[in-house]
Amino acid sequence: MENKNPLSPHIQIYSWNISLLISISHRIIGVINIVALTFVCLWIALLLLGETNYEYIKSFLQSFLGKFLILCLTWSFSFQILSEIRHLFWDFGYGFELITSKITGLIVIFGSFVLTILIYLIGKQII
Amino acid sequence: MINATKKWIFLKVSSIILIPLMVWFIINLVSIYEKDYVDIVSFFSTQPSKFLTSLLMIVAFFYSSLSISEIFEDYIHDKKIKNIANKTLYTFFIIVPLIIIMVLFNLNI
Repeated sequence: MENKNPLSPHIQIYSWNISLLISISHRIIGVINIVALTFVCLWIALLLLGETNYEYIKSFLQSFLGKFLILCLTWSFSFQILSEIRHLFWDFGYGFELITSKITGLIVIFGSFVLTILIYLIGKQII
Repeated sequence: MINATKKWIFLKVSSIILIPLMVWFIINLVSIYEKDYVDIVSFFSTQPSKFLTSLLMIVAFFYSSLSISEIFEDYIHDKKIKNIANKTLYTFFIIVPLIIIMVLFNLNI
């Protein structure tokens, strides 16, 4: 018999809230991060082609788009790090109360931007 | 122990390993991406960078294969398609880290 059950996690049925937003974002950003890491692997592999060929990649990475992509990657990594920490707290049995869940959800969203700035400043050795 | 429990434990252990590695890698990526070829190659040529980058790739692709197979479980109903999707995913996620480890250990200044 054909299974006519709705597909999980029913994003088209439930009304949107912080927990739902973080949950689906965690999945989407996880996939984006692994695609990005595949490109990072490609970038490392292209180093084997030598210094002359690397100039094209270097000029792309130094362009506005290149810098913007690195900034986006920093944010998506930051988001996943914070969201993963939130999941680990849940695994130890903490943070299930509705209000706590909402607060930690907001921390993940706003904290990801703060962490992005922090990582960028540390990376650029400004702080 | 049932398979789902094993999968959950593998996911949690890999995420605990992944968090500090992601922090280390993204900070270093931000610091080197604009630099010259020689600087980037010398960064990846050091033993700690080779080891940590390889570990990051292995754990990240392992973690992602488990998480993406969960997504397939939730969104793909057809067993045949799900099977093919999972096999393709596992093959790709084994090959990519292997290639990058070989590249890293061949990269020298």
